[in-house]
Amino acid sequence: MSNKLAIIASNGGLFDAYKVFNIATAAAATDTEVAIFFTFEGLNLIHKEAYGQLSMPVGKERLEQGFKAANVPSIPELVSMAQEMGVKIIACQMTMDVMNLKKEDFIDGIEVGGAVTFLDFAQDANVTLTF
Amino acid sequence: MTTTLKVDRILECEGLACPLPVVKTKKAIEELNTGEVLEIKATDKGSVADLQSWAKRTGHQYIGFKEETGIFRHFIRKADPTETKEDVKFQYTASLDEINNKLASGEKLNILDVREPAEYAFGRIPGAISIPAGELEARYNELDRDKEFHVICRTGSRSDMVCRTLADKGFSRLKNVIPGMTEWAGDVEKDV
Repeated sequence: MSNKLAIIASNGGLFDAYKVFNIATAAAATDTEVAIFFTFEGLNLIHKEAYGQLSMPVGKERLEQGFKAANVPSIPELVSMAQEMGVKIIACQMTMDVMNLKKEDFIDGIEVGGAVTFLDFAQDANVTLTF
Repeated sequence: MTTTLKVDRILECEGLACPLPVVKTKKAIEELNTGEVLEIKATDKGSVADLQSWAKRTGHQYIGFKEETGIFRHFIRKADPTETKEDVKFQYTASLDEINNKLASGEKLNILDVREPAEYAFGRIPGAISIPAGELEARYNELDRDKEFHVICRTGSRSDMVCRTLADKGFSRLKNVIPGMTEWAGDVEKDV
């Protein structure tokens, strides 16, 4: 049985990053093939400089304590775990052009593609999620 | 009370948040041999539901969990994809109903449970003796060749292999109990 999860990440905050990468790593650990398409603000989550310092939503800063107490892994840690387990990361070419970003601005090991690149994978995915 | 169960590897996930226990379990299971048992120690309350679902999705055998002062001890056995296949070759078999009826009528049976110690600890037929299949060569001398043995495992596959090995060693009154503990609905005895 093919087991595929397709995720669209289009928001760039810290909470968005956790939603995307927790689900992605859990799925990859459960023998699921995963691809994530990062578009618009979602590109933050894989941007070399940005992804280590994503911000909490305004007014939620006090939760920082809770993250520490629960020993939640950092986003860069989750991303490298995801990549190690074969999660495919696709950055949206169109958004990169609009924002004047190059492939080198992002973490290593990503692919750059258009909507069709993602759709090609998502076409036969069992589960598709948008964050 | 802390009981120690013999396992092949212990994975320490205390203090780790979701999804780390699952991610680390996957890696640890990959490094084990088929049939070996992994114990995962976690404090994440979500691990109770998550690791059971994980095992179900990946086809490994979730044996059970024990909670001890805030630590969840999970036991998972690396499954063999061929184990679930009907592959019973030993000609003498007994059904679970036969076993249940005999026990209910007060008959004394020698039930030999050949699963891993953790599986045995989480539920066995009352009175069953434990010799894991992997220890058989070293321990078959503990058994009396002239007695009748009902050999059981989880699905009838390991017990089939054990019956054939014991028959080669001169045991003549053996029965492979099928399908095995997966379908057992009678009383169970446990250590946990």
